[in-house]
Amino acid sequence: MTHAGVGGGTDITARMMMVSAPAEFGQEFTVVNRTAGSGAQALQYLASRPADGHTIILMTQTHLLTMLRNRNLPQLSDLIPLARATEDPQMILVRRDSPLRTPEELLAAGRARSLRFGGTHVGGVDHVAIFAFGRAAQLQQPTLVPFRGGGDIVINLVGGNIDVGLLNPAEAESQLRAGEVRPLMVMSEQRLSGFPNVPTGKELGINATAATVRGYAVLRGTPEDRVARLEQGLIRAMSGPIYRGYLENTGQSLDSVAGREVWGRQLTGFYEEGREALTALGLLR
Amino acid sequence: MEGFLGGLAVLVDPYVMLMVLLGTVLGIFVGALPGISGSTTIALMLPMTIAMGPVPAICFLGAIYCAANFGGSITAILVNAPGDPSASATALEGFKMAEKGQAGLALGMSAVASAIGGIFSVVVLIVAAPLLAQSAYSFGPPEYFALALFGLSMCAAIGGDSAVKNLIAAALGLLIATVGMDLTTGVERYAFGVMELSDGIGFVPVLIGLFAFGEMLDQAARRYGKPTIAFTDAARVPGWAEMRKCARSIWIGSGIGTFIGALPALGATTAALIGYNETRRWSKHKHEFGHGSIEGVAGPEAANNAAVGGSMVPTLALGIPGSATTAIILAGLIVQGVRPGPHLFNEQPTLLYAVFASMLAANLFYLAMGLYMARFFARISLIPSAFLWPAVFVLCVVGAYGPNQSMGDVYVMLAAGVVGFLFRRAGFSPAPLIMGLVLGGMVEETLKQSLIIFGDDLSGFLGRPIALLLFAVTAAGLLWPVASRLLRFARAARA
Repeated sequence: MTHAGVGGGTDITARMMMVSAPAEFGQEFTVVNRTAGSGAQALQYLASRPADGHTIILMTQTHLLTMLRNRNLPQLSDLIPLARATEDPQMILVRRDSPLRTPEELLAAGRARSLRFGGTHVGGVDHVAIFAFGRAAQLQQPTLVPFRGGGDIVINLVGGNIDVGLLNPAEAESQLRAGEVRPLMVMSEQRLSGFPNVPTGKELGINATAATVRGYAVLRGTPEDRVARLEQGLIRAMSGPIYRGYLENTGQSLDSVAGREVWGRQLTGFYEEGREALTALGLLR
Repeated sequence: MEGFLGGLAVLVDPYVMLMVLLGTVLGIFVGALPGISGSTTIALMLPMTIAMGPVPAICFLGAIYCAANFGGSITAILVNAPGDPSASATALEGFKMAEKGQAGLALGMSAVASAIGGIFSVVVLIVAAPLLAQSAYSFGPPEYFALALFGLSMCAAIGGDSAVKNLIAAALGLLIATVGMDLTTGVERYAFGVMELSDGIGFVPVLIGLFAFGEMLDQAARRYGKPTIAFTDAARVPGWAEMRKCARSIWIGSGIGTFIGALPALGATTAALIGYNETRRWSKHKHEFGHGSIEGVAGPEAANNAAVGGSMVPTLALGIPGSATTAIILAGLIVQGVRPGPHLFNEQPTLLYAVFASMLAANLFYLAMGLYMARFFARISLIPSAFLWPAVFVLCVVGAYGPNQSMGDVYVMLAAGVVGFLFRRAGFSPAPLIMGLVLGGMVEETLKQSLIIFGDDLSGFLGRPIALLLFAVTAAGLLWPVASRLLRFARAARA
């Protein structure tokens, strides 16, 4: 069960897991796509199914923000996290000839004026991450220029319409290789293996991380033995060569797959961060 | 050069050619069925291509993409149900031709124009892809705003004969485009708490409803059956006379389609609509438009297939897909270990030219199939309405439900059908409504983005030469009829 359409990034994540999952569980798997309302329809569909562990939602941060803005939907406390599927850290990028050449120059400029950041829609995951970054780095509140997706953000970054882009390495891969954009910092806990010279935000004293994460969850009320079985089975299904090849080819971290403890902690952390940001931005009723 | 010849070598590789042929047949088939689009098919085929090896895999997916775009025109012409949103402009004139008993002519012209547009764009892709790709960077929100405004400026002229009615229809389209979550405020508009509406109203259900279901209601309300169409006329395919008549439309469509396709934010649907506008603007037979003009089939069909080659430009040269379909093809490339980007042209020229060669082959395959099969497909227009339309209705429902698996879309399709029926009764054309729906969201969104970028200062547009040029062309297009009439008056007064 996913909120993405057939062929969307989250849909493909689910299908890649399903290559080896049937053998693991002795059960057939099918994908149900319920695309409306930024995850709202997917959550509603989940709530309409019995809590028996046979309906698994593949969720992202988007679902958490949708929950925050619509209290009638199942909330985070109504779900049991199972396992994380992907974690894709984001980077702070500037264009090649940007006057902001170093992280220090970026921070200085961001304190003097409001920088233009490219992200997805207002009140979305990128907006929350940019807000959290700006606050942790003591910048003036950044201006969000909203776009339809990562591709648009990269083009407008290179074209000089925005000052800074917050993007996954894969989204800007060809521009990074061509040297058209430069990474100033990565928003992960550790440096990325592909970019050993780029410091993390934490090294620069900015206590914020940003990543695109996806993972599985079931409804609360699912029996504990089934939850444990699903957690183990999903992790094993995502440890096979096909799934690892998928992570590698799409530039996502190979430590993506994690159990319910890590995944649950991450979800709670992001839920709180999202609540603070949306409240401060005046987007929460 | 070596890479180029190496790439051409795939044309004699029977395995690759078989894949291209299979992809073409599959593409025409799914393209013609409303509800299964090329992008869905490519997404479903993707896992099967992993085992094929890069060249056959990409050639197979590319062939589906090329052929599906052509396939969409078949149902658009025969039963007024665009199999693919990009074929909606084709339905405007194509179905009118089928009603006049010229289904074969329309289908044949669609195949010819599609293939020329497709081949033109692939040739441009081979010669100028890296160069064209760089121009994508100079297109930001202000430039897209100017371009969308240019498209919208023709609303009064396309479609029905009455400019006022066209503007009313266009305004309705603009209104529908505002439904859903607003990008720049994060607020839902006109959704009334209905979840299905929060992502906006999709093109596919509106198009299917407006064209096919609306047509069915209209047929049902007519007292007499449509006049019997002579079989020999219906099966006639275009000859040299028609080709010569449409040559100009095809070149206009090919050029516009390639350029618009190369812009990452715009796709085949916009290309076809603007191609239709410009074909009409430069046509010597303007009076035929709206009554089944063969040029009105050739222009948009050339444009939407040229947009296929065009959309491969940012996908291959920048790694940025311009449409849902190219996004999945990009995923296919990455799974095969191919890293798109400017360096692709130096590092893997053989693979690249193999892809281009197979796209050329796919265009030729469906040209041959399209021309050959036009005679047989055209007979569908001879099926009595009482049998044909109930079958079309099934396709309408499945087609609206398919892409998002959502009943909400089916209700939208039914509502759009009623609107389409009332439109026909009151003498409105659906064309301006579609223009408003497709371009309306973009006009609003890009203007707001521009203003955020300019810090809420409209004078920021003055610093954007490309946008200014497009504004000037728009103004000239709007003022020219007035100016030319004034000139004529002045001359008459002097005489």
